[in-house]
Amino acid sequence: MPQSPGASLRNAVIVGGNRTPFVKSGGAYAAASNQDMLTAAIDGLVARFGLAGQKVDEVVAGAVLKHTRDFNLTRESVLGSALDPHTPAVDLQQACGTGLEAVIYAANKIRLGQATTAIAGGVDSASDAPIVVKEGLRRALLKASYARKPLDRVKAFTAVRPADLAPVPPAVVEPRTGLSMGESQAQTTAKWGITRQAQDELALASHRNLARAWDSGFFDDLVTPYLKVAKDKILRPETTIEALGKLRPVFGGQDGTMTAGNSTALTDGAAVVLLAEESYAREHHWPVLARVVDAQVAASDYVTGNEDLLLAGARAIPELLERNGLGLDDFTYIEIHEAFASTVLATLAALEQNGTGTVDRAKLNVHGSSLAAGHPFAATGGRIVATLAKMLAEKGAGSKGLISICAAGGMAVTAILEAV
Amino acid sequence: MADLVFPELPSIGPLLARGVAGSIGAGRGARPVPGRAAIVASHRQDIARLSAYARVCGFTLRDHVPPTWLHVLTFPLQAALMAERDFPYALAGLVHASNSMMLHRPVSVGEELALVVRAGNARPHRKGALFDLLGEVRGRGGETVWTGTSSYLALGGKVAGASAPAEAEPAASEVALPAISQQWRLPADLGRQYAAVSGDVNPIHLNALTARVFGFKRPIIHGMWTHARVIAALEPRLPDAYTVDVEFKRPILLPGKAGFATDGSSFAVTNRDGKPYLTGSITPA
Repeated sequence: MPQSPGASLRNAVIVGGNRTPFVKSGGAYAAASNQDMLTAAIDGLVARFGLAGQKVDEVVAGAVLKHTRDFNLTRESVLGSALDPHTPAVDLQQACGTGLEAVIYAANKIRLGQATTAIAGGVDSASDAPIVVKEGLRRALLKASYARKPLDRVKAFTAVRPADLAPVPPAVVEPRTGLSMGESQAQTTAKWGITRQAQDELALASHRNLARAWDSGFFDDLVTPYLKVAKDKILRPETTIEALGKLRPVFGGQDGTMTAGNSTALTDGAAVVLLAEESYAREHHWPVLARVVDAQVAASDYVTGNEDLLLAGARAIPELLERNGLGLDDFTYIEIHEAFASTVLATLAALEQNGTGTVDRAKLNVHGSSLAAGHPFAATGGRIVATLAKMLAEKGAGSKGLISICAAGGMAVTAILEAV
Repeated sequence: MADLVFPELPSIGPLLARGVAGSIGAGRGARPVPGRAAIVASHRQDIARLSAYARVCGFTLRDHVPPTWLHVLTFPLQAALMAERDFPYALAGLVHASNSMMLHRPVSVGEELALVVRAGNARPHRKGALFDLLGEVRGRGGETVWTGTSSYLALGGKVAGASAPAEAEPAASEVALPAISQQWRLPADLGRQYAAVSGDVNPIHLNALTARVFGFKRPIIHGMWTHARVIAALEPRLPDAYTVDVEFKRPILLPGKAGFATDGSSFAVTNRDGKPYLTGSITPA
């Protein structure tokens, strides 16, 4: 059994966050690349905390849908930002867990003394996703580029068949199961007996909660307008249970219960978080919202169908709680990423079934989550961490929050934050 | 003299054609530059167009727009003034000699802008006449957010009422810059790319055939592309408000390569021999 994090480690705290408003793919940010949006999110954070010209010890971020030209996406974004160019950066990718994993990476470096300040986050554009050529054409292009003689270059293309010329659009399909995330989740939904009504209620709560947070000004210091957009555009403050109930199923066939209303939309956006060693943050009169207490990643055996693709959170959370001597009741707020409403509901059911406990629904996604905000894959972690850290700070020292984000590949990333 | 008031930015192609056609056989040279203004009272910026401009020039697509973008917005009004029948200098054969612009404060892509351009400051030059097109961009509150001066040289042109000898060219300010830090590759179709995003469809930029008519063996890139590319290279370090002055020294033939050198305030875009295509400097406001 690993030891509980020792007192010899330094405290890594969340100072603040910044993100673009999130918008539906193909919409207001259709013209923006991942690098554009990540740069905009970083520069908004830089402006908020007066970091222009300053060196941050490391910037860590990533994207799920990534162009080959973006091999150094985060460093390129730093170089385009107002940060001191001596600021190093790293790309990290763990599907939808990217943003939270980036925060954990940064917090670990700060706790170990390898960094004092860091920016962590992520970005995704499903509008500007890479289009890939088919395998036959790709091989021919590679062969041609290595050919020495012009004739060999021509010959390389003789193996290309007309069907090879069609582009391959990106798809969120698990390579080993061939199922899209929605199709996989539809199996989970049926297996755990999650009803349409329960899913629609969760979706409604997400919209209502996010709308209330926007109305109260909660996001005023967490979001910077981008390209004429000042507020999350997927949010439907006026939606009703009746309106959600009228939507047709999109996954799980005719009798399916998953709709466009209780599944996340393809979304564009970027989110970043500023972290610092606690005493450094206090010396610089930065807000000290919450410290990163601990984190746990887990994976499920979904390929065989024994377990569920998106329920690894129910494996990570008990490990995380046990190591820290905590129960679900010890948390003021619990954030479970709403990939689909039924993912959250099945995770809650799995936590009950495996004896971890019952999540008090009044503590769940209190300021809304991905169903209402949208889900630009790698940006979701940064959105949740900044939101939760601010909520905990408002609640007061000692209040704790739990985050669980499911990811492709049957993984989940979880973490505990605590207001200090 | 009535101002030219447009409901939206006029299309440049027909203006250029009219300006070029109108210049043929017109008795040019000794008339004064008309004092009218060309105005668009309210312009909503187009994100798709800004994005295309940003891609071609190397900018990050931000909420705040580059100052050279604001120049691009005023350029159709420049063309409109020069296409007027009584404009004394022929549009064909004008050389963009230098440019100066001041960004008074960051301008967001969401802002509605008023655009105004006037012509003036005609003065003798040893190769003809120089005149300026003076642009101004105002924000919603009417405050000036950007001002620009484009100086054009009319080869062989005369200045009304001027009898004094052409002023000597000011001594080139020699700034020793560090070695080039960037090399830019300008593809053969860059002129067409920039024409598409800026609206400046002057034929010298488009293809070899049309460029040859005007005495260039290959198409040349727009000076304002090179200017924009410089601002894109400096973008992350620029203050909120600044003046940027550039001089266009010689054209860049397409396709081509250019080096970029800067010490942070002065900059130069140079050819393989280190001779400048463009020089300039940035001054914080």
